[in-house]
Amino acid sequence: MQSLFGIPMNDIMIALVALLAISVGTIAFVALRNRVMFLIGLRNIPRRTAQTVLIIIGLMLSTVIISAAFTTGDTVDHSITKMVYDLTGHIDETVQKGDKLSETMEEVVRRDPLPQSLAADLEQRFKGDTEITGFLPVISEPVAVSNPGSKQSAPLGMLTGLDASRMAAFPDVVDEKGNPVDVAALAKDEVLVNKSMADEIDAKPGDTIDIYYQNQKYTFRVVNIVKDRLLTGSSGYPKLGLATRLDTLQELFNRPGEADYIAVANSGGVRGGVAVSDSVTAKLEDALKGQSYSVDSLKSDGVESAQLAGNVLMTFFMVLGLFSIGAGILLTVMIFVMLAAERKTEMGISRAVGMKRRHLIESFVSEGMGYNMLSALVGVTLGVIVATLIAGAMTLLLGQFVSIESKVTLRSLVMSYSLGVSLTFVTVLFSSWRVSNLNIVRAIRDLPEPDKKPTRRSLFLGIGLVLFGVLLMFAGMSAKQVAPWALGISLVLVGIAIACRYLGAPERPLFTAVGLTILVYWSVAAGERIPGPQMSGGIELFFLSGIMMVAAATFVVMYNAHLLLNLLALGGRRMGRIAPSIKTAVAYPLASKFRTGMTMAMIALVIFALTMMSVMNGNFDRVFLTPEARGGWDIRVQENPSNPIGDLSQALAGSGVDTSKFEAVGKIAIAGGSRSRLRQESDSSKDVKDLPTYRVGGLDQAFLKQNGIQFQSRANGYDSDAAVWSALANDASLAVIDAFATGGSGYSMGPPQFQLRGIDPGQDTFDPIPLDIVDSATGQTTPVKVIGVMAMGASGNFFGLYTSADVVGNSLGGAAYNTYYVRLTPGTDANATAKAIEAALFTRGAQAASLQQEVDDQMALSKGFFYLMQGFMGLGLVVGIAAVGVIAFRTVVERRQQIGMLRAIGFSRGQVALSFLLESSFVTLLGILTGLGLAILLSFFLLTSKSMSDMGLRGFYIPWLEIIPICLVSYLAALVMTFIPSRQAASIPIAEALRYE
Amino acid sequence: MTTSMEEEERVAQPTTGEAEDLIVCATDVAKTYDTGRIKVRALRGINLSVKRAEIIAIMGPSGCGKTTLLNCLSGLDTIDSGTILVDGSDINRLSDNQKTDFRARRMGFVFQFYNLLPVLSAIENVELPLLVSGTSARETRKRSYAALEQVHLTEWAHHRPAELSGGQRQRVTVARALVNDPAIVWGDEPTGDLDSTNAQEIMDLICELNADRRQTFVLVTHDAKIAARAHRIVYMVDGLIVDEKVNS
Repeated sequence: MQSLFGIPMNDIMIALVALLAISVGTIAFVALRNRVMFLIGLRNIPRRTAQTVLIIIGLMLSTVIISAAFTTGDTVDHSITKMVYDLTGHIDETVQKGDKLSETMEEVVRRDPLPQSLAADLEQRFKGDTEITGFLPVISEPVAVSNPGSKQSAPLGMLTGLDASRMAAFPDVVDEKGNPVDVAALAKDEVLVNKSMADEIDAKPGDTIDIYYQNQKYTFRVVNIVKDRLLTGSSGYPKLGLATRLDTLQELFNRPGEADYIAVANSGGVRGGVAVSDSVTAKLEDALKGQSYSVDSLKSDGVESAQLAGNVLMTFFMVLGLFSIGAGILLTVMIFVMLAAERKTEMGISRAVGMKRRHLIESFVSEGMGYNMLSALVGVTLGVIVATLIAGAMTLLLGQFVSIESKVTLRSLVMSYSLGVSLTFVTVLFSSWRVSNLNIVRAIRDLPEPDKKPTRRSLFLGIGLVLFGVLLMFAGMSAKQVAPWALGISLVLVGIAIACRYLGAPERPLFTAVGLTILVYWSVAAGERIPGPQMSGGIELFFLSGIMMVAAATFVVMYNAHLLLNLLALGGRRMGRIAPSIKTAVAYPLASKFRTGMTMAMIALVIFALTMMSVMNGNFDRVFLTPEARGGWDIRVQENPSNPIGDLSQALAGSGVDTSKFEAVGKIAIAGGSRSRLRQESDSSKDVKDLPTYRVGGLDQAFLKQNGIQFQSRANGYDSDAAVWSALANDASLAVIDAFATGGSGYSMGPPQFQLRGIDPGQDTFDPIPLDIVDSATGQTTPVKVIGVMAMGASGNFFGLYTSADVVGNSLGGAAYNTYYVRLTPGTDANATAKAIEAALFTRGAQAASLQQEVDDQMALSKGFFYLMQGFMGLGLVVGIAAVGVIAFRTVVERRQQIGMLRAIGFSRGQVALSFLLESSFVTLLGILTGLGLAILLSFFLLTSKSMSDMGLRGFYIPWLEIIPICLVSYLAALVMTFIPSRQAASIPIAEALRYE
Repeated sequence: MTTSMEEEERVAQPTTGEAEDLIVCATDVAKTYDTGRIKVRALRGINLSVKRAEIIAIMGPSGCGKTTLLNCLSGLDTIDSGTILVDGSDINRLSDNQKTDFRARRMGFVFQFYNLLPVLSAIENVELPLLVSGTSARETRKRSYAALEQVHLTEWAHHRPAELSGGQRQRVTVARALVNDPAIVWGDEPTGDLDSTNAQEIMDLICELNADRRQTFVLVTHDAKIAARAHRIVYMVDGLIVDEKVNS
């Protein structure tokens, strides 16, 4: 990866290393200047082993998350980049007619041919150019393949024809061991099979295979198995391929002198060629100016996309990880506050005998850095392990598309370590500064701190926060960004509350009111229910809203917990032998509001994030992965453009497929690639090549009459979905379009985007929208009127503009390929039927799939990704659980004498242990319920907002089956963490505990 | 090591009338602390009897084993050998649960540092022994108020320990010790953390309760003035009772 948040990675690394140097330098300074304080700090580390282990776990989690995010970015970047280099080999650019090659790699289409001689012309033109090493004309045809020997077949593979005389600059045809294979030596009936195809049809050298093209069978002998490359027929889709000589295919397929594209090799080899790609592309475009060719910087674009993908994933993981990092920072603060509480008396004595506050800070910071340096090292290592696990999960999810290879760069390790150490250093410094502020007498006598009364400083702090908040609001307004705006409003509210405290306002009602106001504001603002300036926000809002809502809720809960707890205590009085345990379990959390609040906030933050993800994912899945996505059909049969099917039922006649189970068969004729472009009135002055491309499909009468696709918006005058389809069946000048085209969804379905004007997202009715379908090859224009916008659920499968089949046939040069849809009689097995169809149409290379199976597969993929993200975010739960453990261990030490007293007056071991477990339960449940409640609140407002409604979301659904296990696991883990200290507490010898000071 | 039969032979059995009057009867009690490097013989064969309604003070220099003796007699600590009968029960033959239950129902404790739960109010602290012995909520509250009344603290019932003075805190501890109407109250330096005025107030209270309720008290103390108000003073040195004095 080259940058993060737009900042070059190397610059970030230098800044982070500088921060690390400052952190380490500070400690070195302390060690040299005040060796005693440094040693006091370090010697505190091994005082309590269990506690030290928990502290290290707590501190390292931030580094684990950072390291895992960076390494995942490296892995994705490396894997996709490697795939790009592996596939393209020495090809850096391609020259073709019409669309760029990379834009049509997702879809099997036949390309407009270009003359083979173009390669020679270009070679002549660039003779002596040191940046270009060769031109290679290539034919690439979709074919069906079978291996009679193994009885295995593949309905779709790409057969490439390579000009053997120009292979010198393209040494990419190599066997599995990397040895070059001589294409020129191939006979007319000989072919090379790529690895994916060989695996698919179980082919080996010497086998005879059949290739089907234009419904003709051609027999070839397999000479060798070669690596998957673009030149051996392997592209993004499909991966299966074969290669032979160009002249062989020209002859067999009757395409004399033709090629589909010209591959261009730059100087610099497989990886070095990218450096001159921009220059070569510019030169080629200049040379081909005025001709109908396009130049595609295939490799550099691919590498750029890989880096972008790595960046996006890293940023995504980083933002998701922010919740855990936030929880980790809270834990660090809490750990140091607790350590200070433990050492309050010794700190008081130290101050009494002459130590300055600075000395205490130095001691604490030294101790903190001791934990920190060690834990960051462990954290970086564990982060790499987590990233490896993520890579493994990605392989399971995406293995069929991209081969994921774990990759760790030194830069990422250095950055993770530096960031982890620096982050903890700052937190430790702040915590040390805070805890060193003590009253010496109270510290020595271990007396509780009195309630702090607001001072003039509170007033200044309040006013400062208000001013800063207003500043942020202005910044947000001018940049049209929600995050600073909303944060500013929250700070203003908090500032006013702090200032009001100074003026005598009562604390509890004041902070409760402010907390509730902030909660309501963030919820309602997320639902766009507050009129105000139009602003935008990114994924950072997810984190920010979580932090703000959890912070506000923590204040509200902690200021009012006594109401709930008193109720509990009242109930507990009637619970027999459990009653005394409940009494103490309830009393302690209330007395330690800081600890309880911090622990609750940590757990709430992570549960909030996990629940939000579950709810959002669940609701989006319900939109896209529902039966509606099938549009009323059960099976889709996609024909191989080289082997048209014609009439599906006829093609299947006598094949053994029971067509009597076909209730309906519809057909969509898809226009060729980017040949179809759309123009609206306001685009009338635009040149054809500047118009956005859009998929255009022609529907046959059967499809129009039998489909079950629903509309989210209909033109005025069409009262029902059926009325729209009926009108379309009778009028070739009408069309319907998918929901993505109306915009507002935030989704994109490939470049470049066409945005339909004349209808707002989510608008139920509209006036018919006129637009022109323009054939970019001929310039022919066909006017249509859009009268329906399909529902979001079906828009994924039926993406595009749909009109009469005649339009595609007459105006767009005919169908590039056809897609057939079959509806089966109820009870018929769609999977089995799809397989039977594919087997029957094997020689035509058709691919059949059960639409429900596709929905299920997508659901599984979506769920897989979701679980991966959830697992990563779940790391934060370790923070919350570690916090519960740290507190439990600490309280056993703190309350040793009290435990002795309780045992003396008759508490049994069980009652003491139960008291600890109930106390942890109470805090954990408070955190879980708060996080859960806030996530449901926010997601409700978000998912029922207008913009979500525009995206097709209807209603609100809570996936309890996913959420409840998360909550249960969190709760049980916290209990397990408390179990050991609670047992310790129960088994403390009474007399010893009473002696403890 | 002696067998239990030998022990029985060596212990001077009280007459029926005396036995009924004794609430604590300790015989040959020994306790050694093993700290790894060294062994400390904290109790080296203690014989002690306490009569019902008696206030007994245990005195001696620091480290002589006073607190250890109190802990062993009350079942808070275990002994290596000997027997301790409290209200007729051999305390060391009880299981941990039985001992706990016994303490909850039959004993009260007053400690030097009060050992009140800081997070509970005065009345809630007093309620704890009744809660653990399964008394109903209503009865618990009623008896706790009554106990606080005895120590003249009803007005402070809902205050937390931090809001009370040292003397008040110790009175809460006394109320907690008495609330379950125990057979015996053990006090480990009950006035050790108080000034002389408050210390005398606590002793006044103890004497008053002893007189009114025939409550037995066993107190460990350094303070001769406090000990002087007990019925009997037992002196310890190096884990042994070396002298005994009955106050007139």
